[in-house]
Amino acid sequence: MRNQFNTQLNTLHVELIKMGALCEESIAAAMKSVLDEDETMAERAAATEREIDRKERDIEALCMKLLLQQQPVARDLRAISSALRMISDMERIGDQAADIAEISKFLKDCPLTGRVHLKDMAVAAVQMVTDSVDAFVKNDLSLAQAVKAHDDVVDDYFKQIKDELTALIVEDSHNGESCIDLMMIAKYLERIGDHAVNIAEWVEYSITGVRKLEDDPS
Amino acid sequence: MTKRIFRSIFLVALAVFIAGTALIMGALYSYFSGVYEEQIQEEASYLSTAVEEMGLDYLEGLESGSHRITWVGSDGTVLFDNAANEDAMENHADREEIQEAMNGGTGESERYSSTLSQRSYYYALALSDGSVLRVSGEQYTVLSLVVSIWYYILLVLVAALALSLFLASRVSKAIIRPINEIDLEHPEEGDTYEELAPLLGRIAAQNRQIRAQIDEMKTKQQEFATITENMNEGLLVIDQETEVLSYNNAALRLLGASKVEGSVFSLNRSEQFRHAVDQALHGQHSFDLMELSDRTYQLIANPVYEHGKVVGAVLLLLDVTEREERDKLRREFTANVSHELKTPLTSISGFAELMKNGMVKSEDIAHFAGNIYNEAQRLIVLVGDIIRLSQLDEGTTGLEKSQIDLAEITKAVVDRLHSAAEQRGITFDLQLESAMVQGNAQILDEMVYNLCDNAIKYNRDQGKVRVSVSPNAGHPKLVVSDTGIGIPYADQARVFERFYRVDKSHSKEIGGTGLGLSIVKHGAAYHDAKVELESVPGKSTTVQVLF
Repeated sequence: MRNQFNTQLNTLHVELIKMGALCEESIAAAMKSVLDEDETMAERAAATEREIDRKERDIEALCMKLLLQQQPVARDLRAISSALRMISDMERIGDQAADIAEISKFLKDCPLTGRVHLKDMAVAAVQMVTDSVDAFVKNDLSLAQAVKAHDDVVDDYFKQIKDELTALIVEDSHNGESCIDLMMIAKYLERIGDHAVNIAEWVEYSITGVRKLEDDPS
Repeated sequence: MTKRIFRSIFLVALAVFIAGTALIMGALYSYFSGVYEEQIQEEASYLSTAVEEMGLDYLEGLESGSHRITWVGSDGTVLFDNAANEDAMENHADREEIQEAMNGGTGESERYSSTLSQRSYYYALALSDGSVLRVSGEQYTVLSLVVSIWYYILLVLVAALALSLFLASRVSKAIIRPINEIDLEHPEEGDTYEELAPLLGRIAAQNRQIRAQIDEMKTKQQEFATITENMNEGLLVIDQETEVLSYNNAALRLLGASKVEGSVFSLNRSEQFRHAVDQALHGQHSFDLMELSDRTYQLIANPVYEHGKVVGAVLLLLDVTEREERDKLRREFTANVSHELKTPLTSISGFAELMKNGMVKSEDIAHFAGNIYNEAQRLIVLVGDIIRLSQLDEGTTGLEKSQIDLAEITKAVVDRLHSAAEQRGITFDLQLESAMVQGNAQILDEMVYNLCDNAIKYNRDQGKVRVSVSPNAGHPKLVVSDTGIGIPYADQARVFERFYRVDKSHSKEIGGTGLGLSIVKHGAAYHDAKVELESVPGKSTTVQVLF
């Protein structure tokens, strides 16, 4: 019985790693669709999003099964409950990546994309997701805390892009539509950063058992 | 052990006790019964003598004793009984002992009471007048005796139980102690039961066998570990749950991990990697390329079967970055060569076609022929360069090395290029000191030629080319610098690649094949020399070869 429990916990761990990897891929694909104007990447982001949804359901079912059949306590219970929360953040990341890919269709041949710091922001956001998944994989408390600190970088980029886009609209009001699309992408990236912070916090909780509620960004 | 010994001892004690009691009681009882019966018989014979003489009066005058005396008439009516009223008694003629006595003179019988606790013995004796005198007595049976002493039996049993327990623990401890004291590592040493000797012999033999096998396995494992640790390829063995069972250091190095814990996906979770692992665990061989932090790996995943079922997978990671890069270069080279060869050929073919069709005026023929000649010359130079490069690629094992003065070679090259330089008003500034190099004259000549040729080609008109050769304390140094157009910073790393041209559109005007610096690089590699390029765009380029 115990043995089976451990096997199931391992499966949960592996599935979460896979889901995290899918998140990384979906944002990478979505940002490629925006920055390289690669339509196949937009489709890929959408396909990955569907797979992330499937994974979320699978992992949720597995967690429920573990909770009901094994009635875990202490550390195991924390691991499972934080897994349940983590997958909803991961699923949101997948959704937002798919949304970004969707917007990319309206940004064909847009000369403005290269004039704002969107790429840098995307790199920073992807890095946050990668680090938060890494923190989970390696059970690394310091990395989880580093992710939370890294959120400021993404937030700063968001403010910077907002100013840049405002300047572009002032420069030529015909830029308006594209600027709004770019603004939304920046907002999505900023949200992805927040979800990465959430994941990192759940990692922290599953390791320490302490959940800080103040300055909770979600 | 103690339990078992206790049970045996207790059962034996119980059996001995029961058997003993039964035997003693049985033997004693039958002895005492015999004595008792004899007593009654004797009493009967005394009484019969007295009754024969004195009749009923004697019997009535007797004090009542412990035995019951009955006198039965010849017809069976009871004449006298000292324990009951004879008138109320029924006829006794059908009693067993009375009948026996009437028929044979004496008769006896025994009867048990309803509870079996008492036994009555009857002895009858026929008198001379045909009447029968009977004497009877009562005796306790064995059963009632046993019942009467049950308390003592119980006491003995409890004592036996306690004794058995005590003995069992003592005995088992005593038996076990030598067995416990056996050193299983060296079972044949030490003093113990000789009955155990064959067993201990077997254990010792098995110990030796196990030790030998462990040693063998250790050796094999060490061999395996040595082999896998010295492999450049990363090796990972995983089970059905993707748990890492075995790995080598190369795997950790290639995947950039410091430790392995749990699932193989904690080492890498890229799409190709997951795909390969999933395929292998579904029984399919997979062979993929994987990009990981700017390097390319070949990932080979193979399923591991046991009893026809996939139980895990073996993953092999090979760093194929260089191979992939070489492949890419080769593909580019082939494409470039074809292109470079085709361009002059197309021109030649075009000019020749015009002439063949008579579309060229006779006075222009010389001009056209000149063009054909120039293009053909360009082709010859190009093919010559390619041949030289492939010679250098082949390793140039056949070429001889000798002591050559670099200054002399440089002087000869500059002389050859003099007229070309003069045409554009370019002047040479030579600083040649004799410097001996162990190398091949032809290759050195080509290296210097290409460097100087470039210095002229990519110079501005009226520019300067500075060439210096110095012995530099055993490490001869050749420096060629110009005052030319320079090389953009972005291109500086790539100019040594074959056919790489900074300004692709004007290559034809300047001439050259795009192979010059590539030949210099390969020539330098052949001489174990280092090539350094320093260039300021629009100002100058300096190439330094350090032997």
